[in-house]
Amino acid sequence: MTDATVSTPVTATGPEPALEPASSSRAQKRKARKKAAKDPKRKITWDRVWAQRALLAMAVPLLLYQILFKYVPVYGWAIAFQHYKPGRGSIWNQQWVGLENFYNLFTGVNGERFRQVVVNTMGQSVLTLIVGTFGAIVLALLLNEVKNLPFKRILQNITYMPHFLSWVIVASLASVALSLPSSGGFINQGLMSLHLVDEPVLFLTEPNFFWEIVAGTSLWKELGWNTILYLAAITAIDPGLYEAAEVDGAGRYRKMFSITLPSIRPTIVVLLIINSGWILSTNFELPYFLGNGLVSEKSETIDVFVLRYGYQLGNYSLAVVAGIFKTLVAVILVGSANLAAKRLNQETLV
Amino acid sequence: MSGTTVAKPLARRASRGGSRRRKRTVEQIIFTTLNTTFLLALAALMIYPLLNTLAISLNDGNDAVRGGIGIWPRVFSLQNYNVVFNMTTIYQAFFMSVLKTVVVVATNLVFTSMLAYALSRNEFIFRRSITLIFVLTMYFDAGLIPNYLLIRDLGMLNSFQAYWVPTIISAFNLIVLRTYMKSIPDEIIESARIDGAGEFRMWWQVVMPLCKPALAVVGLFVAVGSWNSWLDTLLYNSGDQALSTLQYELQKLLASSMNAGMNSVAATGSAQSGGQVTTPIALRSTITVVAAVPILFVYPFLQKHFVSGLVIGSVKG
Amino acid sequence: MKRNLRLGGLRRAGRQLTVAATAMALIALPACTSDESADDSETLSPSNPTTLSVWITSAQQAPAPDNKITKLLKDKLGVTLTYEIVTPDNEDQKIGVMLAGGQYPDLIGTGDLKQRFLEGGALRRLDDMLKTGHYPDLAAHVKDDIKRMSYSGDEVDKGLYIFPNYNRFYGDITGGTYYGPAFWIQKRVLADAGYPDLSNMTLDRYFQLISDYKAKHPQTNGAPTVGFEILASKGREWGMTNPPALLAGSPNNGGVIVDSNNHASIYADKDVAKNFYKVLNQQYNAGLVDRESFTLTFDQYTAKLATGAVLGMHDQGWNFGTATQSLQSAGKDENTYVPLMPVYDGVTPWYADRAVMNINQGFGVSVSSKQPKKALKFLDTMLSEEWQKTLSWGIAGEDYQVGADGVFSRTDEQRKNYKDITWRSHNRLDALLDMLPKHQGKFSDGNAYSPDDQPAEFYATLSDYDKNFMAKYGNKKTWLDFMNKVPDNPKYYPAWNIKLSDDANQVNQQLTDTSVQNLPKIIAGNPADFDKNWQAYVDSLHKVDIKVYEDAVNAGIQNRLANW
Repeated sequence: MTDATVSTPVTATGPEPALEPASSSRAQKRKARKKAAKDPKRKITWDRVWAQRALLAMAVPLLLYQILFKYVPVYGWAIAFQHYKPGRGSIWNQQWVGLENFYNLFTGVNGERFRQVVVNTMGQSVLTLIVGTFGAIVLALLLNEVKNLPFKRILQNITYMPHFLSWVIVASLASVALSLPSSGGFINQGLMSLHLVDEPVLFLTEPNFFWEIVAGTSLWKELGWNTILYLAAITAIDPGLYEAAEVDGAGRYRKMFSITLPSIRPTIVVLLIINSGWILSTNFELPYFLGNGLVSEKSETIDVFVLRYGYQLGNYSLAVVAGIFKTLVAVILVGSANLAAKRLNQETLV
Repeated sequence: MSGTTVAKPLARRASRGGSRRRKRTVEQIIFTTLNTTFLLALAALMIYPLLNTLAISLNDGNDAVRGGIGIWPRVFSLQNYNVVFNMTTIYQAFFMSVLKTVVVVATNLVFTSMLAYALSRNEFIFRRSITLIFVLTMYFDAGLIPNYLLIRDLGMLNSFQAYWVPTIISAFNLIVLRTYMKSIPDEIIESARIDGAGEFRMWWQVVMPLCKPALAVVGLFVAVGSWNSWLDTLLYNSGDQALSTLQYELQKLLASSMNAGMNSVAATGSAQSGGQVTTPIALRSTITVVAAVPILFVYPFLQKHFVSGLVIGSVKG
Repeated sequence: MKRNLRLGGLRRAGRQLTVAATAMALIALPACTSDESADDSETLSPSNPTTLSVWITSAQQAPAPDNKITKLLKDKLGVTLTYEIVTPDNEDQKIGVMLAGGQYPDLIGTGDLKQRFLEGGALRRLDDMLKTGHYPDLAAHVKDDIKRMSYSGDEVDKGLYIFPNYNRFYGDITGGTYYGPAFWIQKRVLADAGYPDLSNMTLDRYFQLISDYKAKHPQTNGAPTVGFEILASKGREWGMTNPPALLAGSPNNGGVIVDSNNHASIYADKDVAKNFYKVLNQQYNAGLVDRESFTLTFDQYTAKLATGAVLGMHDQGWNFGTATQSLQSAGKDENTYVPLMPVYDGVTPWYADRAVMNINQGFGVSVSSKQPKKALKFLDTMLSEEWQKTLSWGIAGEDYQVGADGVFSRTDEQRKNYKDITWRSHNRLDALLDMLPKHQGKFSDGNAYSPDDQPAEFYATLSDYDKNFMAKYGNKKTWLDFMNKVPDNPKYYPAWNIKLSDDANQVNQQLTDTSVQNLPKIIAGNPADFDKNWQAYVDSLHKVDIKVYEDAVNAGIQNRLANW
């Protein structure tokens, strides 16, 4: 597809992302927007506030609502600075210990282990995010190529269903799939019948496979579900764009890479930025149920650790400390990702 | 672009065949074959766990314990479903779950889209700061206790309000909708504005209909989340049986079955006296099926909004 | 520490004491409108209906609305119960917010080992109320064990708050099934070996039996026969860590062995442990231990046992009931298990212990109850033999028969109902009974507390295979007969439920984690590396502050020796 296509009348009414396959025009537009941002007109004046009273009426009540339900309860974080015991009643009727809980977590008896746990969490999470995002985009593109509507619908319905199974069931199925052939391990069965291995492999006893197993299992469960947002984004693409491209002689792959992908790029970028903040908030059940003594140096994540040393010991403060740590990391990561996206002239979160 | 775009895919397909070069057609066939094969293989891999769960749920409980059931029950039995549907609390809980899900979805769609509309307007002065305030809420959690105390102080313990009032908006869905709305061409908004539409009318009558695919997605997310949640029942409403939800009741049933399994040696009897009518493993599968089936029906219903390819331009024409 | 009581609770508790002191006078007064006087008498009768709110931690189901015992409570006592039942999995979250909220139902049935309701000031101290003499069954229930049952910490006043729900026994303990820890072996292995003598069992003999059988029968129903399964699935790692103490002749004290001077020390790093894991390491490499042991989820473990292919494992009896039941329903009685008690040379086995009272678990009356006396009277009434029989056996003629000799028995139909969770929700109050104090042991008419404990009932339900199997072992009548004779518990016993400081708990958790992470590597390792691997394990154990843990346990033991 050439730039000429972009300027055809067809695209003039198309959705904004569809306008942007060619980088030059997008950059121009951004620049124009930035200029507008610095315009003195953007200054907040009472006149402007009054002019936007309708928008404010839409936003402010919900803002207050959000502050009440999300921000006000954050006083509960005081627990992080206490030796909190629920038995003492009110949160203000507790023993204050300053930063002791933070020191305990990062440098205390479990300090070394906690650092390992953070590394494991990030490893599993980043791998899951990459595999999951890539897989979902590919599946969305392939589904988009299916022209038979009923078939497409059935496929979608099937692929999104594993999302409704609990992690416990999925972990159990994964564990069986990875076991010895005599226990129903069809992966080993397959590998052996293809003569790729001579002896069955005990995948779950091998630390170096663990992150991949977590990522693979998550992919299996959430692939179809993760595709939904991309499919919705694809629907916003103006079919006229494809037609124009066809007129220009663009092939299937050309259309995929020059129209579809650029059109859903804002969605991809926004989801990646959002997800970057959840890198320390991984799924709990997979590492918990699939982990074992032989792979613990790779399997244990923050949440598993917090369960063992926080909740199970009645140490609520530790759980809150870990939560604050996760939030701080999340804010830094999301901030950086957002900044990077802005620098690269991509869609941003904020 | 004309207003007939909705019908266009058909027209396009019809017109395509003749204008294609032969080479393209061969490539087309190969691609379609490969793609179909791949997607079918993927579907098989994805549907296996479901069929497996279904097969176990339809299998005799004591036999299911042995494992090794594939996609077909080994010893067919409806006993597990009998146990679930004989639970007297389940019907009211089902109704409550439906009611809760409907209310949560409706309120979420209205409020989230309203705010998303405001935040998608480039000229809105507090756009960035408000977005930031919402975005941050995705990354922290105040903890159970302060949240509980807030609900208590608002007088919403053991009330239906506790299900929907605290969750009328979610930051993630807000971003999803806002991103989608931003992709709506300014021209549409401008022309509506020239026609004299105010912001509320613009949101409700112009932007909302254009956002159907995104609204369908957000509706689905919210519905599934609300349907599957049980922590709110446990924390706020477990004192009132009338407010109990399906997921919570099923969770309790599973716990009681696991407990029975653990103690069943107590009744270490002969085979003649019969085992427990169900086992935790079989019941867990059954519960998964019972809890998932109602919500699975939501998807095909919403699916039409983002499969057939809604075309924004068509609305304008 | 009274300051920890919420203000309201404190005020009400003070008021209640006065009321209790003048209880006699108040009983005679007619009912009036104030809150306290709604609780004017301890009698429960249909003419004066009472509604009690009951909070229960239990995995048991709530009763169905048409439950027949619910109806009986209403007809005979005028009592209506409103339940809030929280499963043990959800208990932590719910207790946290309840304490923060400070409003409680009349009765709280807690299973919380961390004593959060008690120390959080949610429960009413009951000593003075019991002294009034209006609660005879409860008073008799606690009389001999009041010290053990009472709270002795520092967070709230010392005294009685909770009636333990299990294992306060009346008379002989009966029963046929063994729930405790053992090295289990399939009956077919013993049958095949000609029913060998099981006394003086050692690890070597145990594994020899298994290996002989496995050599003869490498396949079971088409699947490879598994010699020995190690239970190491999530949350059940005790299957792997506990055996050394039992082999050394120590009863289940958790992570410690307590010597004859009542001094506790951990055994994970001692020779009793090393010798056991050395044997496991050898057997693993000889192919007798399942290679998959460490990666099995609990479902997979259960499934393996249920296929009948596993010849032996170390486990506690209650943990694999589902598998046993599955085997029985498939008619594979020869693949079910018998408990064995291997020990080191010169040691007397102490596998079976005398069941320990569940202190800190059971019902208490909440501080916010407006009718504490009625609530307590309800507990008292439920503890009467008449109600205990109704709750445990059911209704005579419907759920069981009374023989001409007065002995209770059941038909097959009644036994089947008893196992049906749907039937139970309509005909039993399982969740309530789970938390109520019980008349375990024997009733005054000689019948056992429940059908499960009735010796004749037990024997009647055995299959012919099992009866025959028992006959081969000198006419044994129950599986308990295969275990050691249960000695009296030491005064402090058991050490595993001593309440530890936060630091000691953390150390304990670290010790467990170290074991769980290292033992599989030792067992699955090359035998040539055993000593090296073992040393690495001991080194990492010694990095943990073991002394903090041992000191805390020993302090607890001394405290119990002095106070119980």
